[in-house]
Formats: sequence, structure tokens, C-alpha cells
Amino acid sequence: MKLFRNRYIAELAAKNAVVHVFLMIVTVSCLFPIFWMVRSSLMTNATIFTDQSLFPKEVHWQNYLEAWTKGNFAVYCLNSIIYTVSVVFGIVVVASMAAFAFSRLHFWGRDVIFYMFVAAMMIPLPGSFVPLFVMMNKMHLINTRLGYILCMINVGLSLSILLLKTFFDKMPSDLEDAARIDGCNRLQIWWHVALPLARPALAVVVIYNSLNVWNEYILASLLLNDKDLMPLQKGLMVFNGAYLTDYPVLMAGLTMTALPIIVVYLMMQKHIVKGLSSGAIVG
Amino acid sequence: MCPDRIKISLLIICGIFCSGVLGCSQPKKPSGQIEVWHWMTDRQDAFEALARKYEAETGIKVKFDLFAPSDAYTQKIIAAAQADVLPDVYGILEEKKPVLASFIKAGFVADLTEEFRADNGAWETGLFAKAVDVNRFVAGNINGIRPGIYGVPLDIGSEQMLYNRALLKKAGITKVPVTFAEWLAAVDALRRVGIAPFVSGFGELWMIDCFTSNYAFNIMGEQKVFATFRGDVKYTDPDWIRVLEVVRILRDKGAFIDGIVTKGNKVAEQDFALERAAFAFNGAWSVNVYRSMNPGLDYGVAPLPALNPLSPMVSWGGAESSFVINNASVNKGKAVAFVKWLTAREQQVFLFMKVNSLPVNRDAMADIPKNLADFAKAMESSTHPKIWPVSEDPVVSEAFLKGIQSIIIGESTPSAVAAEVQKIKDRQMQKAKH
Repeated sequence: MKLFRNRYIAELAAKNAVVHVFLMIVTVSCLFPIFWMVRSSLMTNATIFTDQSLFPKEVHWQNYLEAWTKGNFAVYCLNSIIYTVSVVFGIVVVASMAAFAFSRLHFWGRDVIFYMFVAAMMIPLPGSFVPLFVMMNKMHLINTRLGYILCMINVGLSLSILLLKTFFDKMPSDLEDAARIDGCNRLQIWWHVALPLARPALAVVVIYNSLNVWNEYILASLLLNDKDLMPLQKGLMVFNGAYLTDYPVLMAGLTMTALPIIVVYLMMQKHIVKGLSSGAIVG
Repeated sequence: MCPDRIKISLLIICGIFCSGVLGCSQPKKPSGQIEVWHWMTDRQDAFEALARKYEAETGIKVKFDLFAPSDAYTQKIIAAAQADVLPDVYGILEEKKPVLASFIKAGFVADLTEEFRADNGAWETGLFAKAVDVNRFVAGNINGIRPGIYGVPLDIGSEQMLYNRALLKKAGITKVPVTFAEWLAAVDALRRVGIAPFVSGFGELWMIDCFTSNYAFNIMGEQKVFATFRGDVKYTDPDWIRVLEVVRILRDKGAFIDGIVTKGNKVAEQDFALERAAFAFNGAWSVNVYRSMNPGLDYGVAPLPALNPLSPMVSWGGAESSFVINNASVNKGKAVAFVKWLTAREQQVFLFMKVNSLPVNRDAMADIPKNLADFAKAMESSTHPKIWPVSEDPVVSEAFLKGIQSIIIGESTPSAVAAEVQKIKDRQMQKAKH
């Protein structure tokens, strides 16, 4: 019996060890590029290709200062915060209302409209650049923050609606009935019942869209002209020329650009796992 | 989270949302201000400095807006043209001229011939002719554009062979190869001491196009190349097989650095800068790149070794970048004057000092370093697809260049590639007829 138990424990330990080794490899492969980015940000253009050591022999912190000043990061950073917060807020409000409507309300053409939204995900963004530009120009929204924010809200809506609708579909109707008995109208049910329950799914929507907006640059360069309106990614382009790339300063810029989004991710982390397995138990 | 904190958070988010949504209406362009759109990320500071100088001299404000990467810039220009909101001055990025031609036809590009010819052609003759030709449409051009000059070159460039002096010395090579046979001997010598002989960004088709068209011009002359594009000469012609054989011989000799067809130009530049290869094939911009990666790199510039000693070795060259003037701009006159000022000697020297671009103005060439001057020298014997009277069908061109890649990796032979390309050429010509 003891022998059997010891063998069982040994097998379990071996299995665990394999799993842990695998997870460690995955972790290292995920973290190593980030480490390499930080390491490269502390080198010079002359040493970045010749010094293959893990830690630079001479540390050049001034790359960060150069990236901040030369890349005009102060202005771009503020713009990116405005865009990210505005777009994510807009998406959360519109997508949660739309998803709630698609899930709980019965109206003519509901499924057709929903599938149209989902189908919009299949259209690659560059394919709609020219019509988008022409439309925004007709609406006098070219080179405005509002124009860019509206377009980015539109970009993020499809997936967010799909995610939230899946969540709301599994919300017990008893909860809705109870709220109605308590005197809630539909808007109040959305606000007091649906939204608090959908917190894990909302966390996924927030993190996914935050990443998307924070890293977006192509649409911004299409819709915006003034550099004072451009997002943070624009600052990075200064160091990445058509022919010449200032790699250490670019890496310093990338590190600074990545930091806020990593912080947001860490803050929302506990909700994300829940959100991804959302719908299992609601209410 | 307690309700008060939720309320405060929501209030902050709403505040940011409102500032984003309402905080900025469409900015009005000041009247008389010249607006320039470009894609040259590394020149923005230099351009802005020149804009300040121009404002100080003339009182006219110039605004440079940078859009990169180049794909995004191209999308923006096309979208802006469709919405009729192009700036006063802009550039059109393309290897050949169909987009420029379509913009001219649509009335988005001003004909600058009169301005170039004013004062007995002072502006035109002050610039390198080959660079001006890049934006010139000659009589009877295939695009059906009225003959004239439709753009202003900003700088020049050419693609040449570069050689690492120290590595050649290590292999005992005392003379830079001028003929193909000498080059092959140098390749053998380099191989013997374990040095990779040649690197280039052959992962990018245009670099292969540039390399092989140099040899095509050298082997058969430009008229036969153009005749092939027209369909009068077949790719299975012995001269075209010889062009493909150049690549096969270099492959068999082990001239190419490992993985050359997977290397983008930026990666290939690292190999040469870090002395991993003795020869490179690259453009004038590389002087800047090599200096930033390895300031001590000792190298020279020369034309590719010729296969046919009776024919000159021409290389791609001309205007590296150009600006066009919006024909519908209310500031057209001012925009032309500004661009003319940009190409003047003083501004060209300033641009060279700041970004090492090769000046398009002949007078500005006096003070540039030897390596750059060697690139500039090649301008006189340069050619460029933009000035060719006829161009190859892009589908055929792509098949030809991918065929070369397959020869390099040993998947195909020159005769097989030639036959395949000719088959595609025949099909495309049949399509064009219908």
C-alpha cells in the first residue's frame, strides 16, 4: 500500500514537474522579449549589435530622457490617455447597452442587426480607410479628437458586443424579473443588475480595447494631421526612419509606452480569467 | 469599491471623455500657410528648422506634417485625394509612375515645366538632370500625360557596390574588382579565409530588381531590355539566361551570405556594418546607417563588376524623394517658391549636414565626404524605372524576381525560371489584348 502511495506521489510529482517546466519555458519565452527590450534601451547604437551579453556593460539611462524629449512624449502621452479613456468609456457604455438589448429585448430584425455587427469584425480596418476618410471629411471630423474617438469606438464595438451578449444571454431571467418587481425599468435593470454582474466580461472588454487604442497608430495618422493631436505611438516613429533606426532610443520609447498598459493589465488581471470563462455561472 | 469611489472614478472618466470629445474642434488652417505632407521620419526636425528659417526670411509660415510608415502615408494621400483635401505640397511614394500619372490626370498635381524653365532654365540646370527626369513625362509617354515636369526632386541617390577594405586586405585582395571574373576571384579568396563575400537585402524584391536590371543593361543594353518589356524579345533569349546565370554562378561560388533571400535591407545593412560580409549592394542612404552602427567602418564605393566590358555598368539612381505641388491649392505660387527655395544650395547643404541626404543641387556637392561623393558620381551613368519609356507588367516582374530568389536557394535553374517567366509574360500579354 505504502509502495503504491509512494509511486502515486512520485508520478504526481513527475507530472507536476513537467507542467512546471513547460510553464517556465512559456513564461521565459513571453518575458524574454520584454527583458531584451529593456536591456537594449540601455545601450548605444554602436554596442547594441556588437554586445550580445545579457546585461549591458555600460548603462545609458539618457536614452530615456532623449526618447521623452525628442519623441515629444509628454504631449503624445496625454493624448493617448485621453483617447484610451474616452474610447474605452464609449465602448463600455455603447457595447453594454447594445449587448443588453440584443440579449434581453425582443425587437424586429434583432438577429440580423446583431450578425451585421459580428460580420463587421471580418472587415480589415485598412480596407475601409478611404471611405472612412471621405465620410469623416464630409462630417468635418478630420483632424479632430472627436473624429478619431468615434472611429475607434466603432472599431472596438463588434467584439465587445459579442463578448457581453454571450454573458448577458446566460444571466438568469429571474434576476431581471426580481428587479422589475422592485420597480426597475429597463435602463435601471441594465445599470443596477446587468452591469455589476458583467464585471468580469467588462474587464476583458476594458483591457482588450485599452491595448487596442493604446497601440493604435495607423488610423490616427489617417484621420489626424496636427502632431499635437497624435497618440503616443507617433513619438516612436521619430526613431524608426525609413532607412535609419535609432534602436536604443526606440527601445527606451517602447519601454515607456508599454509600462502604462502593463499596469492596466495587472490591475484588471484578476477579472480577466473570470471574464474569459464568463457565462459559466452568472448571478 | 465603495459607491463614493465609483462616483469619483466615473466623474474623472466622464471629464476625460468630455475633454476628448468636445475639447477640440477642427483646427482652422491659417490663410497663406503652406502645408507639406511627407513620410521621412528622420527629417522632420530638419524640415521644421528650415520652415522656421523660411518664415523668418519671407514671413510665410510652413507646416510639415509627418505620416509614417510609408504604407500609412500612401493610404492617407490616396484618401485625401478622393476627399479633395490634399495639402499644398506632398510626395507620392511609388517605384514607377502609374500613381503619379493618375494624380496628374485627376488634376491633383501642378505642371512645373514653366517654373523650371524660367530665367533660361536656371532652376532645372542647377539640379542633377537624372533627378529632374524622374518627375518628367516625355512626349509619347505610355501614361498619356502631357509632356512636362511634375515634381521637384529633393535629394538624389544611387545603388552601388560597397566593399570593406579591411576584409579585402585580410583575404589578400589588393584591387577592387572591376570585372565579373575579378569579382569571382575575390569571392574565392574571401571564402578561403572564411569571410562571407556578399550581402544585400534580397528578401526585398526591389533590391533584386535593382541588382539584376544593372546586369541586364550591362549584358544586352537598355533597348533590348525595353524590347523584352514590350514583348518583342523573349525571356528565354540567351541574354536573359546570362542575366540569370550571374545569380546562379554567384550562388555556386558561395558568394551570397547565408539566408540572403530572407534578409530585409535593414538586416543586410547590419551584416555589412558589423563586418560579417566583405561586399554589399546598397543605396546612398546606407552611409548614414553604417555610420550610426559602426562609426569606424572602413569601406569604399564602386559600381558592380561588369560582365560585359564593352557596355557601361549603369545603376539605379535619380531622385531619392520628390515633392509635387497641389494643382488645386490656393497657395500654389507660394508652394512652388518654397520648394524652389528648398532645392537651393544653402538649404541642400543644411539638409546634408543634418540628415546626410545627397544634395540634388549640383553646387552643393563641393563639401560632401568621399563615400557620398562616389554615390553622387554614379548619377551621371544612372537609370531608373521611372524614366524608362516602358515598364514591365508587375505580375511578370514579380515572377522574374521570385524566380531569382528560387535560383539563389537552389530550387530552380536559370532556364526553368526563364521559361516560367515567359509563360506568364505570354499570358499577361494575351490578357492585355483582350
